Amino acid sequence: MTLSMQIMVVDDEETICEALAAWFAKDGHSVQIANSGAQALECLEDCLFDVYLVDIKMPGMDGLEFLAHLKEKHPDASVIMITAHGSIQTAVEAMKRGASDYLCKPFDPDELSLLMERILANRALRDENFALREQLMEQQEVVFGGFVAQSEIMRELFTHIEDVAPSSTPILITGETGVGKEMVAQAIHMHGEQAEGPFIAINCGALSETLLESELFGHERGAFTGAVKARRGRLEMANYGTLFLDEIGEISPKMQVTLLRALEEKCATRVGGSSPIETDFRLISATHRDLPQLIREGRFREDFFYRINVITLGVPPLRDRREDISALADYFLEHYIQKTGKRLEGFTQRALGILTAYGWPGNVRELRNVIERAVVIARGRMIGAEELTFLNPAAADCNLGALTLQEVEISHIGAALETCNWNISRAARQLGIDRSTLNRKLKRYNLTRP
Amino acid sequence: MNNATRTDQAELDIVLLGQVDETAVSIVAANLQAVMGLNTRVQPPREKPEYAYLPGRGQFDAAKIIGALADLENMAPFVLGLTVFDLCTPILTFVYGESQLGGRAAVISLQRLTDPDPELPLLRAAKISLHEVGHLLGIGHCWQPDCLMHFSSNLETLDALQPQFCSACEFEMVRRLQTQFPKE
Repeated sequence: MTLSMQIMVVDDEETICEALAAWFAKDGHSVQIANSGAQALECLEDCLFDVYLVDIKMPGMDGLEFLAHLKEKHPDASVIMITAHGSIQTAVEAMKRGASDYLCKPFDPDELSLLMERILANRALRDENFALREQLMEQQEVVFGGFVAQSEIMRELFTHIEDVAPSSTPILITGETGVGKEMVAQAIHMHGEQAEGPFIAINCGALSETLLESELFGHERGAFTGAVKARRGRLEMANYGTLFLDEIGEISPKMQVTLLRALEEKCATRVGGSSPIETDFRLISATHRDLPQLIREGRFREDFFYRINVITLGVPPLRDRREDISALADYFLEHYIQKTGKRLEGFTQRALGILTAYGWPGNVRELRNVIERAVVIARGRMIGAEELTFLNPAAADCNLGALTLQEVEISHIGAALETCNWNISRAARQLGIDRSTLNRKLKRYNLTRP
Repeated sequence: MNNATRTDQAELDIVLLGQVDETAVSIVAANLQAVMGLNTRVQPPREKPEYAYLPGRGQFDAAKIIGALADLENMAPFVLGLTVFDLCTPILTFVYGESQLGGRAAVISLQRLTDPDPELPLLRAAKISLHEVGHLLGIGHCWQPDCLMHFSSNLETLDALQPQFCSACEFEMVRRLQTQFPKE
């Protein structure tokens, strides 16, 4: 399907304007003609166009001067300079000032056709990228509550994000599990120069060393059993964007050496490959571990640490910003009301008290899941202490008889899994049961990781 | 544009600009008749269109030619010029054909269609004629790569076209022909 565009032709020669208008009309584009730079600028008061074809040599305001004015009004404009054969140098100069391309008149039909195809393809990609980013931002807001925060400590964090985002220096984000380190990374990406590029994330703690290497660097076909086709690595995919390495404290010293070399040389070689592939990205890492301590223990390389940690941003745990808990709880409540269709009006004072007093070892992620669970099991119009018994049963005026044993067990297992970031072995140990028993209960209650 | 009744009246006149190979003329006329159902008439040859000659480029301005064709009197509602002279427009180095979108007149040139295979230039001429007359009906370029209304900037693309319209363009062509020339 051909996208239809709004095109402006700026040329003092009427025959050129009419010929271009007739040509573009056959492709379904609409064309606005202006016979001078000044006339074109007047048209721009009413609307902007998708593509501008601008003659370089015009009496009065020439093409270069018009280009400068246009770029002030419409920085992303696609501008094609039209030039006669004698002024190619000027056309190249125009491209340095922001024109997308130039054409020498008369044009070869192939050349004009290919150029328009390229512009259309770029426009379609830009529109798709914009739509996908908007969708992602929306999803992020829903899952993590955006940055719902009124506390001073979070406002300071936002200021730091705004300060560090524009540069390309590597950033290390520290903080406990579930505080929102990936959200901070995305905020830095969206406020930085790489915003137009991809945001590629990988959890280094979730993969074995072999799989991690393949994920990061990609592999060639036949590099190992099961590698039936070549695959790009995350380092490659992050080119001109941001690479986010979560749980960087989990990677082995051997992988740290490999990554360090790739970061310093700005290239990556696929597993099983021999040719390095250039890749340039902004590196953001995150960890809940104490990396200086790991260095002292010999489990983390100091040279790698200094490579990834030019700037450190600490994300505070939820217990250090208790004044945000109420707003976050309201946000998640609204979200899950919409998701489940349940008719709930809010929290009782007692429930809010419990939420605010609780220690939140799992931070915002745990809070989100607690609210979700509370919404699911709520019986009345308000979320009360009885829906939060797994947090503080002693403080609740709850009637445990109102909950079934199964509901209590589900809540308790859920809380343990959240605290352990869904590590089954750790959660089983915390609950005092073996792993296979826990797996059976997960299957029986249909509990899955959100 | 007059709404002619689709009986025996010519709906399209082919105007020869200079000497043109008779076989090529017959092939073009036959295709316009067969594919588009247009009652086609071939007018006697006219002089070389000197008024459209561009000495600086050694070519003939297609825009001027179709302007002149559109002004001809006592002609069918559509006029298609056929010539062997090389055509161009103010913006393009050459064109195989040119037409008024939703207008009356079009012109095609056989100059750049030559090939060692004697049948290929005839097939090319037929395709370009059908394409340009499609524009006269107000149909724009089609994104389908093998449709007659797909834009061809070179012979390779032209040869890849099927000598037929895609279903969407065909529907549009039939609809516009019925509007232009309603059946009794």
